[in-house]
Amino acid sequence: MNTRQSSLPARSAPGHRFRSLALYSRSRGIPTALAALVCAALLTAWTASRPDAYLDPYRRVPLVALAPLLAAAATGASLHAYTRELDDTAVRRWWPRRLAHLLVLSVLASALLALAVPGHAQEFGAVAMVRNTLGAIGVTAGGAVLVGARLSWMPTTLYFSAVYLSAASPRVNNATVVSWLVQPGPQHGAWAAGLALFVTGTALCAARGARPEGPRV
Amino acid sequence: MNRPDTTAVPPFGGAEHHSAAPAGRGRDGSDDTAVRVSGLTVRHRRTTALDGVDLDFGLGVHGLLGPNGAGKTSLVRVLATVAEPTAGRVELLGNDLRGHRERGAVRRELGYLPQDFGYYPGFTVREFVAYVAWLKELPGAGTDAAVERAVARVGLADRIDAKVKTLSGGMIRRVGIAQAIVNDPRLLLLDEPTAGLDPEQRVEFRALLRELGRTATVIVSTHLVEDVAAACTEVTLLEAGQVAYRGTPGSLAALGADGHESDGNAVERGYITALRGHRTATGAGR
Repeated sequence: MNTRQSSLPARSAPGHRFRSLALYSRSRGIPTALAALVCAALLTAWTASRPDAYLDPYRRVPLVALAPLLAAAATGASLHAYTRELDDTAVRRWWPRRLAHLLVLSVLASALLALAVPGHAQEFGAVAMVRNTLGAIGVTAGGAVLVGARLSWMPTTLYFSAVYLSAASPRVNNATVVSWLVQPGPQHGAWAAGLALFVTGTALCAARGARPEGPRV
Repeated sequence: MNRPDTTAVPPFGGAEHHSAAPAGRGRDGSDDTAVRVSGLTVRHRRTTALDGVDLDFGLGVHGLLGPNGAGKTSLVRVLATVAEPTAGRVELLGNDLRGHRERGAVRRELGYLPQDFGYYPGFTVREFVAYVAWLKELPGAGTDAAVERAVARVGLADRIDAKVKTLSGGMIRRVGIAQAIVNDPRLLLLDEPTAGLDPEQRVEFRALLRELGRTATVIVSTHLVEDVAAACTEVTLLEAGQVAYRGTPGSLAALGADGHESDGNAVERGYITALRGHRTATGAGR
């Protein structure tokens, strides 16, 4: 069998690594996800810059709840693998790649949406937007493990809707944590809830991957 | 990387017949068993797909036959390391699959064409095969040449920069075969590889199989008995998760030597005879 390649992994040239990274990015539709993130940020910036939203921070509440949903949906869709069966024969473990994938998109989405919200950062501004974006991506990543990447936006939408609609109810106990996504800024309980969802969902998705979709599930 | 020069090989190979060593033996007579499976059991919820199967496969082309639900795909998926067995031991290319390092070593030298392999809509043939080469960690310097060689072997050199989604079903299947052979695998697993190929392409594909079987262990799961008869050195017939028959295409044809041509050719009749014989022996009538 002297015609075989060496079983030792060869060190890749930078150009090859870049091409491989580009192939991986395109295979997951990451350019499309990035375009969707930019569009979501522009739409958010346009909506947030309207005088009524600028002067009354509470008018930005729907914005800091809805924009992260869009970002999370774009991120969730990028977790879909068209060739899961072939991907599962990869020599390297997938979890570091999936973790890096989620972290990079989370940072980009958080930064873009934070920049899109003007005004006081403490009142439904950049801080709340970052917290909600991370929480939404965490829920979506967890949803991808349960229902598959292409439907991963659905659990997040249901959950965010439930929290948003129940936030005004006087019966909600421990509102800072339960209604974390409609808290105006750096409340510790709200951040703890958002970060817990982000860490749990991201870790689960990195470890397990999105649920396989298609005929052989 | 020292690979055989196959650039002059016509599409789908071109070798007429091979003189493969007996299964389990290399050309020098050494033990070259690539796959050893013992007590392999696979269950999907309440269904038992494989029931304590013992098998081994050596150099050459091995046909996996059986009716729908016999356990062929379950076996191939376990051998491809994408599915975990419920019980039993699997040794591939001398490696036990329980450790990640060993699994990685096997995957580096494994080629796999699933029944439904999927493809990225925006990828060209070249990009798709290069993506799988990346999964297999082919050295960067040789990847371009390996991709072009694999695509040429399946007769798609002139379509290498076409988007996969613009190709016909048969061509997409050939792209799937190209990705499976891009790393020049020692163990090649093909699940229904000829589905969607036209008769001419199937004949050419069988020639490629025979060529690949000279240096690799090739396991082909198929419904098409004539593919097995034309390209395989050994036949394994699965039925209800058990091995119903093992032999050569010739011995399978001998089982059906007495039948009538209207009941199919000799190998098809042998397949039916072996299948019914197993059902009778196990009391598993249908």
